[in-house]
Amino acid sequence: MEYSDEAVFSAAARFSAVRGQGTLKNLLAFGRILKQVGIKVTLSQVIDASRSLEFVDIADKEDFRAVLRSNLISEREGLPIFDRVFDCFWRDRSLEEVSVEVQAETSEDKSQEPVGAEESLEQEAEQDSIQESRQNEEEESILMPTYSLNESMNKKDFSEMDTEESRAINRAILLIATKIATQVSRRKKRAAKGDEIDPRWTMRKNIKYGGEVIDLVLRKRRIKKTRVILLCDVSGSMDCYSRFLIQFMYGLQNELWGIETIVFSTSLSRITHLIRTKNISNALEKISGSVLGWSGGTKIGRSLYTFNRAFALSLVTHRTVIVIISDGWDRGDVDLLDREMRILKRRCHKIIWLNPLLASENYEPLCKGMQVALPYLDLFLSVHNLNSLITLGRTLQKLVA
Amino acid sequence: MNRKGLTIEKIQQALLKEKYICDRSLATVVYLSISMGKPLLLEGEAGVGKTEIAKVLSEVMKTRLIRFQCYEGLDANTALYEWNYPKQMLRIKLEEVRRGDREAVETEIFSEEYLIKRPLLEAIQSDGSTPPVLLIDEIDRADMEFEAFLLEILSDFQITIPEIGTIRAKLRPYVILTSNRTREIHDALKRRCLYHWIDYPTFEKEYEIIMTRFPQVRALLAKQICAFMQRVRQMNFYKRPGVAETLDWVSALITLNREELNEGILGETMGCVFKYREDLNHLQEELAGKRLDLDQMMKESPKLQA
Repeated sequence: MEYSDEAVFSAAARFSAVRGQGTLKNLLAFGRILKQVGIKVTLSQVIDASRSLEFVDIADKEDFRAVLRSNLISEREGLPIFDRVFDCFWRDRSLEEVSVEVQAETSEDKSQEPVGAEESLEQEAEQDSIQESRQNEEEESILMPTYSLNESMNKKDFSEMDTEESRAINRAILLIATKIATQVSRRKKRAAKGDEIDPRWTMRKNIKYGGEVIDLVLRKRRIKKTRVILLCDVSGSMDCYSRFLIQFMYGLQNELWGIETIVFSTSLSRITHLIRTKNISNALEKISGSVLGWSGGTKIGRSLYTFNRAFALSLVTHRTVIVIISDGWDRGDVDLLDREMRILKRRCHKIIWLNPLLASENYEPLCKGMQVALPYLDLFLSVHNLNSLITLGRTLQKLVA
Repeated sequence: MNRKGLTIEKIQQALLKEKYICDRSLATVVYLSISMGKPLLLEGEAGVGKTEIAKVLSEVMKTRLIRFQCYEGLDANTALYEWNYPKQMLRIKLEEVRRGDREAVETEIFSEEYLIKRPLLEAIQSDGSTPPVLLIDEIDRADMEFEAFLLEILSDFQITIPEIGTIRAKLRPYVILTSNRTREIHDALKRRCLYHWIDYPTFEKEYEIIMTRFPQVRALLAKQICAFMQRVRQMNFYKRPGVAETLDWVSALITLNREELNEGILGETMGCVFKYREDLNHLQEELAGKRLDLDQMMKESPKLQA
């Protein structure tokens, strides 16, 4: 959510006509600006903010800020942008002006106000709330996102994208991943037939028999979380593909599985705790500073060796799916890779290997690393563009369901 | 403390009396939450005082604290109520033995006496002159379905138990939700609440916290600890230590009669601050590689000179 100062200023300037028209209108305008810079704000939040103002002395700027912030912002990432918009929007208004407006509001003669501006803001607010509820409905019902990316975008290789395209693709990725995840979770609930006895309900039902158990009540098997571990090669050109994959997998994350993310090149780092939010690219920027050897060559065998010793014990169970993304070029000892793949395979449920090189038509896994790993893989897929991610998503659906 | 006549300053002072250092923006949000009857969602790293403030608030408001801990797999029954089936069964059996009135028993076993009340029901049924503080801890550990259920409860504060009827809250509890941000809370629930992010404290704030909780500690030691914590939180540890760890550490150092910080003492007591083997190893590496240098830190930090 990076917005330039110019964008913020111009958004604020659009609403400069609102001054002197009452606090609620100012708040509505403020809310609209926040929406324009990417913070989701609803009408009810703005109204609550307005109600909250009655409880504080709004001439105190910091209290005023705290009131608005606690009502309008619901996540930590929104805090810095909120502060910038707040400072920009309210800086020219002395808060005494605002408090005078509040008092005047109750006794103002409405006919003196410029009718056009008043109506248009209120209309806009109404339209907003109607739009919001429609949007929410839409998001529920559509299966594929209706953003205006064309077919060619779906096929474009990740490594060829510029910043704008990357951003668009990231949004698309999240949207698709969410759809897929929701579908899986719904399907699971419907499909799971009762095959386990529910002791509580059984007793409940049998009270009428005076305590003899005659009717059995069955229940759905409690869905246990599958765990997915991403092992991402982030050396050189693999970096770009890994980023998109991480974005995708985090979009998929829901009640069905927990995701651990581990990056490796010449050494290995667990970065799950660093990637908490949906803004993956920002998090990855932060990480590349702290992960050693981010763009050296790759030592896959060595990295798996470290993984098996440091993390596998606590993270990998027979239900775990391991997803490795790498081009297979191992600069280190290939025998080590062979041994470690065998160890890993014994512990986990399935291993999926994603290789962007698979997309090129003449590719055959000729490099030694890939040949050595191949026998241990349950699935070998490409991951070079949006279409391939969609395929991956569908595959995971079947795997987890 | 009465709800009327409450101000932001009074809350801050009352919390301070209970040894909780609270900055004005947090006090403002707490004040709003109480005055408006809107739940408060506190997010932040582990160990920064989210759960603590609910406990302290209940002391300040002189009311009961009902604590509800969330976990994975939590469902509505665990939160609300359950019938005491074994007790009901026994009652029925007893009646059979006596050859008594079956029908009367059936009514009886679905009365409040046979109801196991769980925290949310307790919060709704609570009577007393002041509403209780309902702490819903670590909501991020529960799943989305539980959130939807919670949203309903927080809107109406009423529950319908089919055999008994609808129970409405006479006094709406003060609701505080906490989250460690291990996953995103659903928008609908977030918007229902006032939001506040509690960050790690500044050097000054942490120093104040230490001196308030442990007035007997040497000022220099407290400052050294604060400098260390500030530095460590910027480094790449798996689990960064929070204020809870700082206070544990101070307590340990006092017990061991240590008056200042050096590498030896650090090594002895590191278990108070870092609880993961990876982190302990990482710390040793950083100390050995001089990327974390205690002496240098002490010399260079301007705050320690003051």
